[in-house]
Amino acid sequence: MDRLQVTDLHVEFGGVRAVDGLSFSVREGEILCLLGPNGAGKSTTLDLICGKTQPTGGSIHLDGVEISHMLEFRRARRGVGRKFQVPSVYKDLTVDENLSIARSKRPGIWSALTRFALTDSRETEQILDLVDLGAKRSELAGNLSHGETQWLEIAMLIAQDSKLILMDEPTAGMTIQETERTAEIFRSLSANHSLIVVEHDMSFVRSVADRIIVMNRGAMLAEGSIEEIEANEDVKTAYLGH
Amino acid sequence: MSSKFQFELVALVIFAVVIAFGVPAVMNYDGFELNTFARYLALAIVSMALALSWGVTGLLNLGQAATFGMGSYAMAMHLKLRASSGLPDFMSWNNVSELPLFWVPFNSLAFTLLAGLLIPASIGGLIGIFMFRARIAGVFVAIITLAFLVAFQLLVINQQGLTGGQNGLTGLAQMTLFGWAFDPYSMGFYYLVAGCVTVALAIGVYLTHSKFGLVLRAIREDADRTRFFGYNVANYKTLVFCISAALAGWAGMLYTLVLEFASPTYMGVSFSLAIVIWCAVGGRESVIAAAFGAIVVNMLEGRLSDIFVEGWHLILGVIFVLVVMFMPRGIFGLLVEGAQKLRTVGRARPGHAVEPLSTTPLETNQER
Repeated sequence: MDRLQVTDLHVEFGGVRAVDGLSFSVREGEILCLLGPNGAGKSTTLDLICGKTQPTGGSIHLDGVEISHMLEFRRARRGVGRKFQVPSVYKDLTVDENLSIARSKRPGIWSALTRFALTDSRETEQILDLVDLGAKRSELAGNLSHGETQWLEIAMLIAQDSKLILMDEPTAGMTIQETERTAEIFRSLSANHSLIVVEHDMSFVRSVADRIIVMNRGAMLAEGSIEEIEANEDVKTAYLGH
Repeated sequence: MSSKFQFELVALVIFAVVIAFGVPAVMNYDGFELNTFARYLALAIVSMALALSWGVTGLLNLGQAATFGMGSYAMAMHLKLRASSGLPDFMSWNNVSELPLFWVPFNSLAFTLLAGLLIPASIGGLIGIFMFRARIAGVFVAIITLAFLVAFQLLVINQQGLTGGQNGLTGLAQMTLFGWAFDPYSMGFYYLVAGCVTVALAIGVYLTHSKFGLVLRAIREDADRTRFFGYNVANYKTLVFCISAALAGWAGMLYTLVLEFASPTYMGVSFSLAIVIWCAVGGRESVIAAAFGAIVVNMLEGRLSDIFVEGWHLILGVIFVLVVMFMPRGIFGLLVEGAQKLRTVGRARPGHAVEPLSTTPLETNQER
């Protein structure tokens, strides 16, 4: 069964159709890349899936359950994780505390009241080592560099361990080495997570994407493997404008 | 255990030792002085309660005095009923012929003690549910709670027959528990209040360092982000409002015991704003600092009004302006920054240049 099934999704902002009749699905363990020019509706699509924006039409099913009108936190509990385009970490909390918030298998109040904020866990240590932040555990997240902030948010999503992870421009502002490392992490993540990645860096897309969807003006323009997309005439027109 | 937690635990122990042994010794075990200090301690609880909702969670509750007043009136009514044979005097003056049904259970001390905590908590929770389910945040929380405070005070003043109106509740009996009468000028009573403050602070310290407290701080920073990790932000905010209101009610009950009357000024706007000031001066991020702020400001107020009978309000005002301008995180913030500076100096000593601490992330335009 498909992990995520999006059917005929619509959303309008003041008369502008940001997403217009979009349908696609994501399988288990698949990395799907969303491409498209600015304003194509890629981030909006992620917003619709994670619940930041309410759709005006269509449906979203996660593991066969309709989630289109659930509140954000219910979707998160069902297994939707989101990394935002502008890195969204808690700047006044330490790296450790950020990860503790992200580790939210038991998000209820009672379990929060009966546990201490920071419990030493091997899992946290492993995740932080994976993104090279092991030495900065007690640093405030606000003191990290841009690349480190990106990685911290990625680490938070790994800790959250969602079934479906939505990544909005995860490599923006990273060096080439950092981008390569991120690609490695994503490939290892895809073993037991499904990912939807919005990304402009084509070399990154080439190295991680199982499948690509190109969007334009809120609708799907093309779908296929990287070779198929690169050969597609419509895609060239949309990007170059002629 | 994090170093911050250890730091606060040490601060809590020092605080408890000082108010248990230091303060009585300095005041020569004088009943009157200790009663005055017990008043400050009761106010310290309401200030730390505000720190939980304002400092930790970022919800500026300007209606804290309303829940404080509920506790205060609950206790005062119990003592009033005990002092009067039959109907309380102010009721007969206002042509109320029999005790209204909702005051009847206040004949029982156990009920009163529970009500003084649970009524404020449920009112706080009710307002919280409506506000936070509707995702009302920021300055609107302050406006709504302030409006509630004003309305509630008006209600209490207008229902003179039921509440004593503008005069409040006076001529109260002393509370007796297991045959022991609470003389507000005795050592035993002082220790009761000191014990209450210590317990309240211990609860506050635990809450702020539990996962619950961490989620609250995350909510303060970015409530939306926290929802995407699966936390029901509205419930967390509502619960912290309940807890804060219950603590305020507790403080109100103690306050009535200390002063032996209850007045509608306890539910006034100026009192509510004063709580905000205590909290800000001490440092709203830490419950102990907020409690400390309440004690310091009230002591200062007491001394200043003795020395400068005319101009003390002005002096106090200037102090607050200076605090807000030069130490926005209060006394606590000053301590934290001092500690950080010491650490940086220590680190920089072996000939390394100090790295700049913060780099602003490049913000890309959010795509729509």
